Amino acid sequence: MPDTGLEKLAEVVVGYSTAVGPGDVVRIEGHPTTTPLIQELYRAALRAGGQPTAQLVVDEAVETLLAEGTDEQLQWVPLDVRWNLEHGDVWIALDGPENTRHLSGADPAKLALRLKAREPYQARYLERFGAGEFRWILCAYPSEAAAQEAGRSLKEFEALLHRAAFLDAEDPVAAWTAFGDRLDRIASFLERTSELRLVAEDTDLRLAVAGRTWICAKGKTNLPDGEVFTAPVETSLDGTIRFTFPAAIRGRQAEDVRLRFEAGELVEATAARGEAFLREMVGMDDGARRAGEFAFGLNDAVTDHTGSVLLDEKIGGSVHLALGRSVVGTGGENVSALHWDMVCDLRPGSELYADGELVYRDGRFLDGVT
Amino acid sequence: MRDPRAERLAELIAGYSLRVREGQTMRITGDGSALPFAVALYRSGTRRGALPYLEIRPPGLDEILFAEGNDEQLAFISDGERMQTEKVDSWAMIWNSSNTRGLTRVPSDRRRIHLAAHYRMVNRRWQRVEAGELELCGTLFPTQSHAQDAEMSLAEYEDFVYGACHVADDEDAIAHWESVAEELTARAEQLASVRELRIVGVDTDLRVNVEGRRWLPSAGRHNMPDGEVFTSPVETATAGEIHFAFPSIFQGREVENVRLRFEGGRVVDAEATSGEGYLRALIATDEGAAVLGEVAFGLNYEIDRFTRDILFDEKIGGTMHVALGGGFDEAGTQNTSDLHWDLICDLREEGEVYADGELVWKAGRFLADAAVAHA
Repeated sequence: MPDTGLEKLAEVVVGYSTAVGPGDVVRIEGHPTTTPLIQELYRAALRAGGQPTAQLVVDEAVETLLAEGTDEQLQWVPLDVRWNLEHGDVWIALDGPENTRHLSGADPAKLALRLKAREPYQARYLERFGAGEFRWILCAYPSEAAAQEAGRSLKEFEALLHRAAFLDAEDPVAAWTAFGDRLDRIASFLERTSELRLVAEDTDLRLAVAGRTWICAKGKTNLPDGEVFTAPVETSLDGTIRFTFPAAIRGRQAEDVRLRFEAGELVEATAARGEAFLREMVGMDDGARRAGEFAFGLNDAVTDHTGSVLLDEKIGGSVHLALGRSVVGTGGENVSALHWDMVCDLRPGSELYADGELVYRDGRFLDGVT
Repeated sequence: MRDPRAERLAELIAGYSLRVREGQTMRITGDGSALPFAVALYRSGTRRGALPYLEIRPPGLDEILFAEGNDEQLAFISDGERMQTEKVDSWAMIWNSSNTRGLTRVPSDRRRIHLAAHYRMVNRRWQRVEAGELELCGTLFPTQSHAQDAEMSLAEYEDFVYGACHVADDEDAIAHWESVAEELTARAEQLASVRELRIVGVDTDLRVNVEGRRWLPSAGRHNMPDGEVFTSPVETATAGEIHFAFPSIFQGREVENVRLRFEGGRVVDAEATSGEGYLRALIATDEGAAVLGEVAFGLNYEIDRFTRDILFDEKIGGTMHVALGGGFDEAGTQNTSDLHWDLICDLREEGEVYADGELVWKAGRFLADAAVAHA
């Protein structure tokens, strides 16, 4: 039976987000669970004149590698992966996990080693992306595991994703375009700001953003999407922040993370659960102890925590801070194999000051600010 | 739950077929329906210190490609694919399909565009294999779709597949295939001195000249299961007639009861009880399609029935097969064609084969030393 939801989603991804055109070499990848969407994307890419290929993501292989691999094996990047990042035109990755906790038992040191080896390729594709030579997107897919992680039924989770990707709009592409205009207005306000101070429960953090570029995420590289982000000045973070949501990365997580920064450097990191993992990750390299991103989540169709970073960092009324690599195009200079987004819900009570002036309260920019 | 037989098959392919070594790149390709087996191969490669990686295609994509793609898309091979074909050290190909008949209704001209582009890649792979630069092995993981083709339950089909590969129990499979290699090598050496084979069976009396051609043993290095000796016949000499009682299948389409008559090496008459139009069209593919590119003995006696999969069918112990179309360079062929169609002739009941006039094979077994042929 044709699934019009997936068809619509594929049209947004191929037609709007990645703008596949004739001759574009397109790599599509996702877990076996995502096969129905892979097929729709493959069809849409062919219709757009592209040259699609698709691969399944196989968790068991990664698990095997982490459990049994030597350092050499852990650090090796497969030929097809490298080729795509160095020469491909479009990369569509689907986030539709089969088991969100499959790496819970993996050795963090090995995980870090594997990530680190991929860092040059990460940097390369982000550089190509920045130069307009490469387009990529991470697109959420409603799998049972993702629904379970979010504490929902599959149907409920599908409905959430549907709304969050604006698929309930008559013309989803028009909806994304209009939404993008709103984000542009917020970004142009933030461009005029030198310093932000965030105050909430157990949180009082100052960061400088002068001279940095704010980027609007309007459905081009993530779907769902909706954030405005930059890389804070690397030496500027000062104070503490407590993350209300669990901080998850690569199938593992730390809960109730509290970070303290001095002159941009992380000087204290605690977690109620998963603290050893947290320490392992921030000890990966020097850059892992500095922030590479500060962002406002602005998608009001994403209201609740789901355990998927892709969605959680878009929650309307949240901010997130990433430890590690700066995002390309922001002017950020932090280099790291890590990029770990941690999300903080500001709706229950918060204040944000821009150069001393209150501009945002309880998860909303104040009227007149944007 | 992991099937220990699949684990043993993976070990056999990594250890014996591909001889995977530390530090070598190992590409594992296949269809999503073979995922558990792809993982088993990945594990075997990892344990041998190799650098394995999976490229598993989601099912159903070729169906979409043929329905939607323009000619350029049908013929497209990415530079990434070319690079891997040039660079990879070993390659396990899992030839599964989630639906073996998914492409049956695709117009043949569209199939031809796709095949022609892919044949070039296939040829390049074999060049690298012959040059000793690439280890390559094709195999199949037992799934419902292939069991259905074989007219078996999945459990029966698993027994059949693992039995044919000699991994059904914990016998030393590598030792088994090493002994098969010895036997088939000896058989190929014996056949090297033969000038003409005469194949006699039901409605069959065919003379095939193999003088000066090289016989090659096929004992599990490039196919698993395996078990044949083959060569490419002299192109101008095949004469007589041959009947194929098994259905002859090309790209999922079946032709039944094929009868071919040869004169001077070429097919001069072709009949079938069903699919005759398709048969004639295939023979008319190009000049070389009416000429034999292969003649071979099937010698795997664990494979005792027809299952509609050429990987198994051409090795049925007691059969011979011939292929219309392109031959093998390493056998000394002169015949080139875009077609290579294996047709299987069951000689188990009444077959006889004469080598330069001397009876060497009867009822599906070599005579002089049936034990050697059989193992």
